[in-house]
Amino acid sequence: MSHDTRLKKVLRRSANATGDLVSGLRTALPAMLGLAPLVAVLVLLFATLPWLPQAVKPLRRLANAERQRAGRILGREIPEPYRPSHASELQQGIMMVRTPTFWRDAAWMVVHGFTGLVAAVLAVGVWAGIPFTLSLPLWWWAAPEGSQAAFITLDSWPKALTMPFVQGAFYVFILVWLVPRLARWQARFAELMLRPASRTSLAERVEQLTETRAEALEAHGAELRRIERDLHDGTQAQLVAVALRLGLADRRFDTDPEAARTLFLDARDGIEEALTQLRTVIRGIYPPILSDRGLAGAVRALAAGQPIPIETEVDEGRVPAAVEAAAYFVVAEALTNVARHSGAARASVTVRRDRDRLLITVRDDGKGGADDGRGSGLAGIRRRVAAFDGATRLDSPDGEGTTLEVELPCGS
Amino acid sequence: MRIVIAEDNVLLREGLVLLLNSEGHEVVAVVGDGPEVLPALLEHRPDAAVLDVRLPPGFRDEGLRAAIQARKALPGLPVLVLSQYVEETYAAELLAGGAEGVGYLLKDRVSRVDEFLDALGRVAGGGTALDPEVVSQLMTSRRDPLQELTPREREVLGLMAQGLDNTTIATTLVITERSVSKHIGAVFAKLGLPPTDSGHRRVLAVLAYLNS
Repeated sequence: MSHDTRLKKVLRRSANATGDLVSGLRTALPAMLGLAPLVAVLVLLFATLPWLPQAVKPLRRLANAERQRAGRILGREIPEPYRPSHASELQQGIMMVRTPTFWRDAAWMVVHGFTGLVAAVLAVGVWAGIPFTLSLPLWWWAAPEGSQAAFITLDSWPKALTMPFVQGAFYVFILVWLVPRLARWQARFAELMLRPASRTSLAERVEQLTETRAEALEAHGAELRRIERDLHDGTQAQLVAVALRLGLADRRFDTDPEAARTLFLDARDGIEEALTQLRTVIRGIYPPILSDRGLAGAVRALAAGQPIPIETEVDEGRVPAAVEAAAYFVVAEALTNVARHSGAARASVTVRRDRDRLLITVRDDGKGGADDGRGSGLAGIRRRVAAFDGATRLDSPDGEGTTLEVELPCGS
Repeated sequence: MRIVIAEDNVLLREGLVLLLNSEGHEVVAVVGDGPEVLPALLEHRPDAAVLDVRLPPGFRDEGLRAAIQARKALPGLPVLVLSQYVEETYAAELLAGGAEGVGYLLKDRVSRVDEFLDALGRVAGGGTALDPEVVSQLMTSRRDPLQELTPREREVLGLMAQGLDNTTIATTLVITERSVSKHIGAVFAKLGLPPTDSGHRRVLAVLAYLNS
């Protein structure tokens, strides 16, 4: 008996549980069906990320136009929150959805799309509405009955001679009090949404600095490896060979002075070669003329060594050595490009210090059409500048010369 | 010859003194600091000075500046400037005060003792000694007009600019002195320089041309 009831109990429990599980299908089935779209959305989102930086360009242009417009209204500049990035398109896309700027821009777009339209229509409508309303007492009786209204339907002379003036006063109130405020609120809203809020710009700045620091470390590492290789495979090996020759010369000195002499001369040749290599390595690390003459003197020396006349204008005064060296390499590389590819008759170099930035401009009157891709030194310039968290701009329309602008922070 | 040496590296300084003494020259002063160079030159008025470009305390171009100043005070004072690296600009600054008695060589060149002593002798005698590297830098910046020269003529021009005479040029290129003269004539004609007799004025003309 008790055995029987226990069995029943067990069976009932299983039956109930089965019922529970079956009822779970009510959510499980839609969930399973939803899985495919969810995966599709996620895949789509991930797959479109690399195109996001391209896709937001129109949004950013629009936001920039609004920044200028709202800035004019408010009488103060609304700075752009965007920063140049050298990361891959995918990384930029990921960064974009992770930092608030993109979302704030998008939110502004949605809100402004509605309110901006409504506000503009209201303002224009009120101007038109005032003469319309005030003229109602003159012709309301001619219009179809009950078709004209000023707050209430106009159906008698007493109403027609009072209400339009009340409504007119209300319109004037809107025009005088509300419309200017609307314009300011709109501009303030744009400022609120579109300015780089200190918190968000800091977050983005950190993101960007992390990126440039990684690039700088990479560039620095590559530089160290290059120097090590040059010294190890070049100079050091050369000096070992010289030492070997001197050792041999020493052994032969008594028995075969003539052979020893040849070895001595070989050793001298080897040392001369090592010195030449060493000079090249040193130039690559920090060009000696920079310590002798500073950036201004060094740039003038570079310009003097070019086959075409180069005008130079360089601010005196020193910047950190690493920045000086980078600036020197940028100018050297740019002038090499000018001499090799541009066919220019003349060129100019200016190096200006603008607060905490060094601005380098190299301009020529050559054939233009320079681009980064064609194995020129431009890619090298961009890399070097990026490692310093700087910016490179190239303007080289066909037939109109080339202008290279480089901005290097020289934090002080 | 009475010689003043300015060099801060003790080993190289002693090596130079040893070398010059063994050649029978008299080293009248040896200085190792930038500010001491000019007073030493003005006091001793040597027959030649051997100066390092970079000297303490600034380690910039103290030696070069001292050489230029000394030659302003004592025109034609023979100076042989030595450096770990050569800059066309420095050569131009040295030559701006006249090319007579000017030498500008890489330090490496001291290892070829005969050539080094020869260059020093030339400078002391009012001649010129320019490092081949400087000359090639100068020739790069005047690339276009030099395209018309044959490779051999360019070689001859380069050696002339270093301050070498016909005999040395002939030995270096393993050709006869007659053909050296012929090449030089061609170079002068092609560059539109007035023909000058062999000798120092010729070097000046070439350098003035390259340096312009």
